[in-house]
Amino acid sequence: MATTMPTYQLEVTHLTKSYGDATVVDDLTFTVPPGRVTGFLGPNGSGKSTTLKIMLGLASPTTGHATISGHRYKDLANPAQTVGAIIESDAFHPGRSGRNHLRILADATGCSYTRVDEMLDEVGLGSAANRRAGAYSLGMRQRLGLAAAMLGEPPVLILDEPGNGLDPQGIHTLRDVLRGHAARGGTVLVSSHLLAEVEHLADDVIVINDGRLVAHGALAELQNSAALVRTTDPGLLATQLEQAGALTESQGTDGLVVRGMSLTEIGERAFASGFVLHELSSHAGSLEQLFLSWTGATPDDRDHTS
Amino acid sequence: MKQLIRSELRKLTTTNMPWAFLGALFAIAAINAFAVIAATDFDGSKTFISTEVDQQSLVAFAANGFVLASLFGAIAVAREYGHHTVVPTFLAAPRRHRAVLAQVSAVAVGGAILSMVGAGLTVSAVAISLPTTEYGFLISAGHVVQIVAASAFAGAAGAVVRNVGGAVTGVVLMLIVAPPLIVQLANSTASWMPNSLALVLAGVTTDVSGPAAVAALSAWALVPAGIGLVAVQRRDVI
Repeated sequence: MATTMPTYQLEVTHLTKSYGDATVVDDLTFTVPPGRVTGFLGPNGSGKSTTLKIMLGLASPTTGHATISGHRYKDLANPAQTVGAIIESDAFHPGRSGRNHLRILADATGCSYTRVDEMLDEVGLGSAANRRAGAYSLGMRQRLGLAAAMLGEPPVLILDEPGNGLDPQGIHTLRDVLRGHAARGGTVLVSSHLLAEVEHLADDVIVINDGRLVAHGALAELQNSAALVRTTDPGLLATQLEQAGALTESQGTDGLVVRGMSLTEIGERAFASGFVLHELSSHAGSLEQLFLSWTGATPDDRDHTS
Repeated sequence: MKQLIRSELRKLTTTNMPWAFLGALFAIAAINAFAVIAATDFDGSKTFISTEVDQQSLVAFAANGFVLASLFGAIAVAREYGHHTVVPTFLAAPRRHRAVLAQVSAVAVGGAILSMVGAGLTVSAVAISLPTTEYGFLISAGHVVQIVAASAFAGAAGAVVRNVGGAVTGVVLMLIVAPPLIVQLANSTASWMPNSLALVLAGVTTDVSGPAAVAALSAWALVPAGIGLVAVQRRDVI
């Protein structure tokens, strides 16, 4: 039976970060519960990395705050053994070996060198431990970063794009590690632009766009929160539903995918306006479709999401 | 704090950088030896090594260790920011003054060791090469110790001056540029510039008293270190 760990909840409350006139994070509020993997999504420049840095005390908020079970990161008794983080994939000296990189972190955080070797083996870098980290592939660097994040056996993991550069086997290992961590009661917040991967990995998602929260909740619920409507005049119905606050997307010649409105309300509004409905049903969308509708991105923008 | 200092010391010893500096110190020692063996005064004599004071001045060339130690510290910290290794450092020590103090302590120790090695190499090189001339090794053991100790102190101080990271880059520039300008404006301040103070500690000059030199050199180190310590608290790590 897997051992459990202390539980921590991450709380971000009315967080705003501005640089001069530019507001990078805008009144962001969300929680990340323990025991679940939470995906943190948003287009490039949407404020994800800045939010993560504020949570880790690497940047200061303009207003609002981010806490870990009620404490700011810098107020934690033993921060590095409470939170493991990947923020920069290349946060190591290229002339230093992977083993020495981890030993430096072990010295700073009070971990043993035995733990260093265990982590190197766990992420598959045991045989390359004495090689210069500068000669590592991108995937190996990511694995070194993961080993560094997990060195102190922290119950909380905050990882910025940990899947970048990993091969399918590496992605599979990462998924197993993070799912296992959450299963033992750990808190996992993962930012990623690999939407298909997040779909397989995350229990919950937080989506931001232009620094603002656009979606937050259990992924399964969000995916099933849309409705498929078939009617004789989908364009006109779409206009009316959008005026009432729904998001719509055309589906074929007579179909409409509607988000942000219940089936009951859609039916009532359609009936009140005299629309003939051929179908009104729940519609399960892919995370990619949802992401595009939440962020207002076009399919051409997909390659640029992060 | 002890853990953080150990971590910073390990950072200094796990790259090739110390070896590069050691190579430079060997080169300086070799230049000293070459000067003793081959160089002459204008009249063809070797009077530049004929007295203890002359030899002390030559060995004080080891004060180059002061410069090298400063470079050692500056490069060590610049790399910390350049390679983003400051991120895990600040994650391990989010109260940044602890991280910076650990860093400053480590580079001070590293700079001191480097300077001592440099001074030791230079003294040895001069001592070994003197028998090829008509003069013996005239520097007393006490003076040798003084030179080594002064180099260590100067090296540590020099490393500290330049080792509070990017936060004090401006201050460091000021320290490098300011001394000659200040001396030009007020000639009487020459004795209080870092290199002059190091020579006092090495026993080569007596422009100011030893304790005054220690205090002044400490101030050169600690004022910008303090500014850096404050600046780094507020900086976002982007």
